[in-house]
Amino acid sequence: MEKKKIIFKINGVEKTVEVEPNKTLLWLIREVLKLKGTKKACERGDCGLCTVLLNGEPVKSCLVLAVEVDGSEIVTVEGLSRDGELTPIQKAFIEHGALQCGFCTPAFVIVGHWLLNRNPNPSREEVVEALNGVLCRCTGYRPIIEAILDVAKKRK
Amino acid sequence: MSSITYLESQKDEYRILDQWLKAREYVYVGKDVKRIDALDKVTGRARYVEDFLVEGLTYARIVKSDIPHGVIEWIRPGRAVEHPDFIALVTCEDIPGLNQVGYYIPDQPALAEKKVRFHGEPVALIVSSKPDSLEELRNLVEVEIKPLKAVYDPLEALKDKVLVHEEHGSNIVLRTKVKKGDVSKALENTDYVVENVYKTGYQEHAYLEPEGALAIPMDGGMTIILPAQYPHLAQSIIARVLGYPQSKIRIIQPVIGGGFGGKDDMGPIIGAQAAIAAYKVRRPVLLVYTREDSFTSHCKRDPAYIRYKSGANRDGKLTFVDVEIIFDAGAYANRGPFTLWRATAHATGPYEVPNVDVRGILVYTNKVYQGSFRGFGNPQVQFAAERQMDELADKIGIDPLEFRLKNILRIGSRISTDQVLEDSVGVGEALVRVAEKCGWFEKRKKYGKIVDGKARGIGLACAWHGISTSRGVPDWCNAYINVSKDGSVSIYTGIVEIGQGTHTGLIQIAAEALGIPVEKINLIGGTTDAPDTGATHGSRGLSFGGVAILLAASKIREKVQKVASRIFECKPEDVEIRDGWVFEKIKPEKRISWEEAVKRCYAEGEELSATGYFFMPKGKFDEEKGQGFAYIVFSYMVSAVEVEVDLETGLTRILKVWPAICAGKIVNPKLAVTQIHGATVQGIGYTLMEEVVIEDGKIVNTNYTDYLIPTISDIPEIDEPIFVEDYFKFGPMGAKGLAEMALIPIPAAITNAIKHAVGVKPSEIPYTPEKLYRDLLRRMRE
Amino acid sequence: MSQNKNINLGYINLFNTHIIPVKFNYHAPQTLEEALNLLNKLKDKARVIAGGTDLIVDMKLRRKEPEHVVSLNKIRELDYITVDSLGVKIGAIVKLRKIEKEKIIRERFPALYEALKSMASIQVRNMGTMVGNICNASPAADTAPPLLIYNATLTAKSLNNERKIPIEEFFKAPGKTALKEDELVTEIFIPYPPQDSHSTFLKITRVGMDLSKVSIAVLTKFNGSIIEDIRIALGAVAPTPLRIRRAEEFLKNKPLTEENLKIVQEIVAKEIKPITDVRSTEWYRREVAKVLVKDALMKCLEEEGGR
Repeated sequence: MEKKKIIFKINGVEKTVEVEPNKTLLWLIREVLKLKGTKKACERGDCGLCTVLLNGEPVKSCLVLAVEVDGSEIVTVEGLSRDGELTPIQKAFIEHGALQCGFCTPAFVIVGHWLLNRNPNPSREEVVEALNGVLCRCTGYRPIIEAILDVAKKRK
Repeated sequence: MSSITYLESQKDEYRILDQWLKAREYVYVGKDVKRIDALDKVTGRARYVEDFLVEGLTYARIVKSDIPHGVIEWIRPGRAVEHPDFIALVTCEDIPGLNQVGYYIPDQPALAEKKVRFHGEPVALIVSSKPDSLEELRNLVEVEIKPLKAVYDPLEALKDKVLVHEEHGSNIVLRTKVKKGDVSKALENTDYVVENVYKTGYQEHAYLEPEGALAIPMDGGMTIILPAQYPHLAQSIIARVLGYPQSKIRIIQPVIGGGFGGKDDMGPIIGAQAAIAAYKVRRPVLLVYTREDSFTSHCKRDPAYIRYKSGANRDGKLTFVDVEIIFDAGAYANRGPFTLWRATAHATGPYEVPNVDVRGILVYTNKVYQGSFRGFGNPQVQFAAERQMDELADKIGIDPLEFRLKNILRIGSRISTDQVLEDSVGVGEALVRVAEKCGWFEKRKKYGKIVDGKARGIGLACAWHGISTSRGVPDWCNAYINVSKDGSVSIYTGIVEIGQGTHTGLIQIAAEALGIPVEKINLIGGTTDAPDTGATHGSRGLSFGGVAILLAASKIREKVQKVASRIFECKPEDVEIRDGWVFEKIKPEKRISWEEAVKRCYAEGEELSATGYFFMPKGKFDEEKGQGFAYIVFSYMVSAVEVEVDLETGLTRILKVWPAICAGKIVNPKLAVTQIHGATVQGIGYTLMEEVVIEDGKIVNTNYTDYLIPTISDIPEIDEPIFVEDYFKFGPMGAKGLAEMALIPIPAAITNAIKHAVGVKPSEIPYTPEKLYRDLLRRMRE
Repeated sequence: MSQNKNINLGYINLFNTHIIPVKFNYHAPQTLEEALNLLNKLKDKARVIAGGTDLIVDMKLRRKEPEHVVSLNKIRELDYITVDSLGVKIGAIVKLRKIEKEKIIRERFPALYEALKSMASIQVRNMGTMVGNICNASPAADTAPPLLIYNATLTAKSLNNERKIPIEEFFKAPGKTALKEDELVTEIFIPYPPQDSHSTFLKITRVGMDLSKVSIAVLTKFNGSIIEDIRIALGAVAPTPLRIRRAEEFLKNKPLTEENLKIVQEIVAKEIKPITDVRSTEWYRREVAKVLVKDALMKCLEEEGGR
């Protein structure tokens, strides 16, 4: 099993890494790059906690081979707020108390961020569809939906 | 009825609590203060146990038994030693102290010794220098286990043909009893009697962060970064296992990815396992259960088998309740003695019943062991009790709400143990208000008719839940507060933040008592660096942990008042502290800042630190008679649920839930609402979808693909909760426990609504579409 | 990969999704020809990856232990959706989400559109491909019933050969297809359904995001009240997704009366071979399949009425 050299951008910074083919993107992020904001809870694509943006689209990083991100651009939760300024989604999550244990929060923040970039004025159904791939065991989801809808409403 | 014992030494504490209770107007308490941990959590900076970067870290996995019951012949590393990453194989022989992590009954090893008793039991730990070779290494370990006959069904286990613990002599762990009046005599004079068997299944916590522990040998002892719910319990168990004095074990809580009770039980166990490994390899060890390990090997909500017989007269008054409760403990007793006792004490539901006979049996089987889970033995029995109330109401021909109101507990009522409720009983009001809000009578009339293959129904259920430990089991809390020279405040509490928001609420209480903004307060929680505060369980974190902080803060407040009174030349009690300003009540314009006052205290020899020890007054319970003191106070919950049932598929859609809670003073309404939402949704999962499938003792569904928890598409509308603030005299500003409550009535509320919709009589949860459909077919045939 | 055949503790300790225990060489050919060359050389030692959502889980669980993994993701010539007068052609590495967003799919292939919308999560649809969904040959593959009723054809290529496989002949058993070890599905062609026909997709799951317990796709074309063309396909009720030809034959040239509907339901119940597993039971799947047949046909009938 030969290591492969890959070059990619993560949170705006270019990286060159040698990685074994049987490592996932999640492994690359957490264990190689030591970015611990991206969480893992099932590692088989059910929980969605490892969601990151790959070339601008949300993917579950536990189901992507690290070697496959060669030439790609990745954004994790650490890369959302720029210069210490929180994103509107992050502010709304704090405002609405849209979290409890917080373990799923980075994933919801990432997906919410992506959704509002794509669709500044989503319906409740569209929010639910977008967030459907992320599990939460604490909040019952409602405050998360409200937080995202509230950002959209305030923008109008 | 046994009376409550008050301590002379705690008179001051009673006085302080009473003062705050009577204030009723608060600056910080009762407000939507934002969570103190939110910023770290939305930015990904919050550090959970797996997120620490530690020099020289090694990695461990449990090696599990593939046999549900057997004798261990030998365990050896096999070809694992040839692997370059191999560091050690750790077995029970490496344990320097006592191989014992049992909670109440000393029946459970940290690593299996001589025998294994369930499929998935940890028999060893494999330690590796790299995290990615763990799976390979643990598969190279050689374990020989000679299988024994196993027993899985608790009713079968009662026959003692196969013994899970030979030395115990029986599979019956223990029996519980509550008895009042004369049930057999009451039966003769009862107009209507209903008898049913109710069954509930395991529930998996499925917290998104599985169990983990990071043990670091240092300072001649062991420091463990540990997601647990009671650091001092973990400390004492780990000290026992390592043979260390407790003072050499330091527990620090990381940010915790959900607990729900599970990490109360698992914290000490996985902490002990990690510590044993770290002791052997003399390096830091990170032990994490994979998702599969968590499913196969961590405790779960106890399955229950409940035979319930109860009666009422024509006037709608309950005459007796006669219940037998069998709890499946699995391989180890763990918290079973306490979940079962709780179930036994709560078996009547929140009703006044003159004649009561409840018998509980806790029984061992060769399955994964039972554990603490939100509600702690109570959801099972409230399901039975509240389903039974609807069946009885039906038989009498009375509306289920009216039936409940005729029997509901009120101040002065005698509960099943014959304890008199002295204060804080808001459940009757909650019932009335929920019914009003959900349009109860109208919908009871309108629904229950089939339209286009679908039918709607509305149902409700109550719940009650004793706060703090049961019976005379001692319960205390403590906190330590220190004011720094710059006026900033540090609070040390053993209460753990597991996501519920308690640390935020505790700071609100401190801010209230000190009269300073929350920003000036830092809380260091969930650590043995704080005084022993008791566990974060039993809905006691904010209520009881808050008492300690309120007391400590009030003592500091009094010291500042004393020093300030010398400046203002007034009596100490005439000094007010508010919003960071210290002034004489009648002359608020002549004020000094909190910082200035603190400086004065330091200058004038007034020490600004305090502890807030409180010992909860308790009565006695007579186990022989089954009578006496049960709990110091109860929280109450009422939930109404509207459902739509698809008769062709058996699918139930929950349209709306109307919750009402009686948890005394609500310290932070926003946090309370989120708790109610979360618990309600967890209850929906428990009632309709969550099923641990076990075949021959093996859990088949060990992942989220096959063990289903509610997704964002499965949640109903939840109405703005009704808060009935039935103040509790020993709560901080009258607060009681809240976090567990909203789950408890959900199983009965949903199934009662299903019954209203389509007429089936659900007696088993999870009530899956398959079961509902089967019951519908049966009903059509009848 | 054979270093882990020494299994002492049984499956319980093997079961992991944390890492991929399989060690393999990774190939990322730039052209189709390169890829076919590789497959020709490596044969059954290789597994093809496009989305990876199935293969990676399978490798984590050691259900598949390839020595080589051949990625198609750099082969730009397989990334296309083309529309012509006959139908739509979709290349092997087109993501599910891109297909779902295609206007022609929503307008002309509503059953496929609904199936795509209902699949897993947006993340997985951003990753997975339709060819992958089909080649994985899960009985519960959501795109299979729609492709079955639309009579889709797969193009399979090997270094020296190219052939068209009708979708109905593609599925052989759970995880098994008609594909040879050196072959690659490069394209799915979906011909337009008949003019004025209606098609729909329905499924039953346990929770919002879930694998199907039972799924169905139905296509109807009415001539007045008479059914002129009818296609019914179900998923998760047999070892492979399947067309229910006997039901179709029965309904053809008949009106959709209540009585005929009942007979069709019974035929479907007889033709399918559901199993009991952790997701559902055999009898329940059979019962629900009947309900879905009715619901899907009624939905088509309603659309016909509302036309």
